[in-house]
Amino acid sequence: MRELWRAELLRFRTWAIAAAIVHLAVLGFFARLVDPLQQPDFVHAIVAGVYFVAGLLLGLYQMGSYRRPNAWLNLLHRPLQPGRIVAALSLAAGALLCLAVLLPLALLVLGQWAWTARVVDLRHAALPLAAGMIATGGYLAGAIAMLSTRRVAAFALVPPALWFASQANGVWALAMQALVLAWLAAWLRVVFKPDLTAPPRTAAGQVLAAVPLAFGTYVLLVMASLGYQLGWMVVGSHPLNGTPPEGGYVQASRAESGELLLAGLAGSGHAQAPLWRQQVPLSHLTSMAPEVTVYPVAHALTNPTLAEFDDAENRRRYTFSHDAGRFLGVNPVNREREGVLGIGEKQLRFPTPPLLVGDGLMATAQALYRYDSDRQQVDVVLELPPTETLAASPAITGEAVMVLSDQALYLYDARAFRAGTGPLAPRQRLPLPLGGARLARIDLMELIDGELVSITVGRGSIDGPGEAWQSVWHWPARGTPEQVARRDLAPDFPLLLRHYEWWVSPLLRHARLALVQLFAADNPLQAGGPHQRPVAAWLAAGLAALFAAAGSLAWGRRQVLGRRARAVWVLACLLVGLPGLLAQWLLYPRRDHA
Amino acid sequence: MNDDDLVIQTQTLVKRYGRKHALDGLSLAIPRGRIHAIVGANGAGKSTLFRILLGFLPASSGQARILGVDSQQLAPADRSRIGFVNEEHTLPGWMTVAAVTAMQKKHYPRWRQPAFDEVIGHYQVELGQKVRQLSRGERAGLNLALALAQSPELLVLDEPTLGLDVVAKRAFLESLLYSNAAGDCTVIYCSHQMEEIERVADNLVILERGRLAHMSAPDEFCERVSLWVADIPFQGPPPETVPGLLQRQQLDGLQHYLVLDQDEGFADFLRSVGARSVQSMPVSLDRAVNGFLAKHHAAPTELRHA
Repeated sequence: MRELWRAELLRFRTWAIAAAIVHLAVLGFFARLVDPLQQPDFVHAIVAGVYFVAGLLLGLYQMGSYRRPNAWLNLLHRPLQPGRIVAALSLAAGALLCLAVLLPLALLVLGQWAWTARVVDLRHAALPLAAGMIATGGYLAGAIAMLSTRRVAAFALVPPALWFASQANGVWALAMQALVLAWLAAWLRVVFKPDLTAPPRTAAGQVLAAVPLAFGTYVLLVMASLGYQLGWMVVGSHPLNGTPPEGGYVQASRAESGELLLAGLAGSGHAQAPLWRQQVPLSHLTSMAPEVTVYPVAHALTNPTLAEFDDAENRRRYTFSHDAGRFLGVNPVNREREGVLGIGEKQLRFPTPPLLVGDGLMATAQALYRYDSDRQQVDVVLELPPTETLAASPAITGEAVMVLSDQALYLYDARAFRAGTGPLAPRQRLPLPLGGARLARIDLMELIDGELVSITVGRGSIDGPGEAWQSVWHWPARGTPEQVARRDLAPDFPLLLRHYEWWVSPLLRHARLALVQLFAADNPLQAGGPHQRPVAAWLAAGLAALFAAAGSLAWGRRQVLGRRARAVWVLACLLVGLPGLLAQWLLYPRRDHA
Repeated sequence: MNDDDLVIQTQTLVKRYGRKHALDGLSLAIPRGRIHAIVGANGAGKSTLFRILLGFLPASSGQARILGVDSQQLAPADRSRIGFVNEEHTLPGWMTVAAVTAMQKKHYPRWRQPAFDEVIGHYQVELGQKVRQLSRGERAGLNLALALAQSPELLVLDEPTLGLDVVAKRAFLESLLYSNAAGDCTVIYCSHQMEEIERVADNLVILERGRLAHMSAPDEFCERVSLWVADIPFQGPPPETVPGLLQRQQLDGLQHYLVLDQDEGFADFLRSVGARSVQSMPVSLDRAVNGFLAKHHAAPTELRHA
């Protein structure tokens, strides 16, 4: 095995060294322009994609050169277990990718730490490891794709897709990468066998190969609904692609604030409703919607947005350090470390890494801060209760500032807000009656005795489950808020289409959500549900499962499957639905072709 | 014959690709020892047979055993007993001869360096040379040396001289024939080159359309085929009435009949259909095998009876 490993190292040695040199040069070039370690998520995702593709190409090329019938026979017909042969090839490829991907990146991190004033946290030390794992994952996916039958090949990309969908952060993101890597390695072992056309021999091998197939076909089935929508658009009656239907959620989400308030008040029997309706065209209205989807997580490998800002007056560039819990300043002229920004005069640590939201403001989940350039200090502007999460940047409306959390709307005094004397106490608090649904927008009209607030609920309900409605509240300056109108917003999509993602395979939908959330902390900003499924969706799910089981029974007789295996597949299709049937069809060749 | 005395044994072996049969109920038993040549036209199922025997392809039905082991159950230890050389001589081109040799030496517990040295001695190969720098003939020689040094009980050579020039072919055959190691194992030699078969084979196996068409010593097969030249006015008898006919040609006004399993009685047949003179002569293995295989070769009806 060691000899094969060495032989494979020798084969790609020159290419790997050349790739490492080019990689280091490119990293060095970009490091002169920007701080590569502090780039936002999407930049790191693009770079990770490049590493993945590099590994993928290596896997495709290496196994492609071996899978020709004579070369394959020559490689496997030796007194070594196939497992040891594939281990030798994979470990060699892994070592080469470490040389070409991990090493230059490690040198970059080390170089920035040793010779620059840029912020290098402990979390950055894990970036080369993550890059190495992503490239190795690409290699394994490429190798699996090349050794699998043509119709299964593309599904090798399913496990790595989880990396890009996963919500896990920091060490847990590495754990997720390791998990996917282990799955891919086991899958490669399963397909690495003398007869490349045969299905996996063992039950465990069949499960290893079938699960990504089922997930992949599930995603394809869900995407097929886009084809239906495309046809709908061609016909010209798609709610999102033209004039939306009256009284529907799409119309409400696109309406001007005044139109929306008038529509909400139309059915109100409140004594003052006619007066408010007259005031709407004459008043100043403010609209806001939840805009923050995720906050930076301490020691996460990457930042959701850029975590640095410039103070031109004081010639400072501040970058947030997760290790220090504060912003560390650098003089961009002499590139020396200058200044530290914590909270208040005492320069306290930020409880969590803040999100820069513009105008010198920065937010954590429970507090809003402002940077004062004159005093070179960060002050607390306001704090929310520990159970709430800030959902949007503040919006000024007349004499008040609207602040939105995931559970309530707050009004603060605008003068005090501008003066920066904090932490401020809220003037008013309106609890949001969401009931498990997701807030879409808030529209506010100032009255003499308070405010009129329209709350529109139903984000994600256009092509998904959940209710949508609009409620209008009279919010007096003193006293209890009162709901003065409520109307249900009609769904714009057909019932079965809105629940399609669920009924096509309830089990896989839950499994997909669970996998995406695996190792990740709960994010209240993306919470919703649980949703009630209508009887029609249950019926559709049942019929789909029965159809899949019947199909499995019929198809299984024509495939290379034993009686027991056929029974297991029928059961699996009952549980998994149509993706199960497609996975069975993909995995096993027809008996005639055996 | 005891099963242990057989190196290859198949029973009603079938391999289908869609509707086409690559192997069509092949039953074959090749005894241990000597050199066995397997010949057949393209598509006769030779490569498919080897791939099934080595466990690289599943059979549609039937059984295949190699060295007494079910082909689908070959363990690494079984593979060490079977040497395989194919026509591509697939060796890692980026490695030196010494490195490839060292790697094989580590993998094969019964490695015999003298056997390697004996075969490689027929070629001008330097140990420090990269495999990709070797000529095709040298690569074939290196491949054979590596296979024989593994001390295999069975050595399968699948068209090993394909694409080699005359000199390289001769060098390959000599290194095979004069190797002591080759004498210790059973050799399956698959080739289209009849002069090679004639030279090396002790046993001739002819496959046709996935079935066993013939198995005997090459001389015995040649004795079964004879060429008759007759001077027959006009066109001669219809082909379907000629007993044992393999091939018919008209050259210089004389009818040439290549026939199978015909004795002196065939001369009487020719005379009975108007032959003025009849002459019989033996044929070479090449002619005999070609005639045998051409009999069922697909061709338009008018050509087949021409």
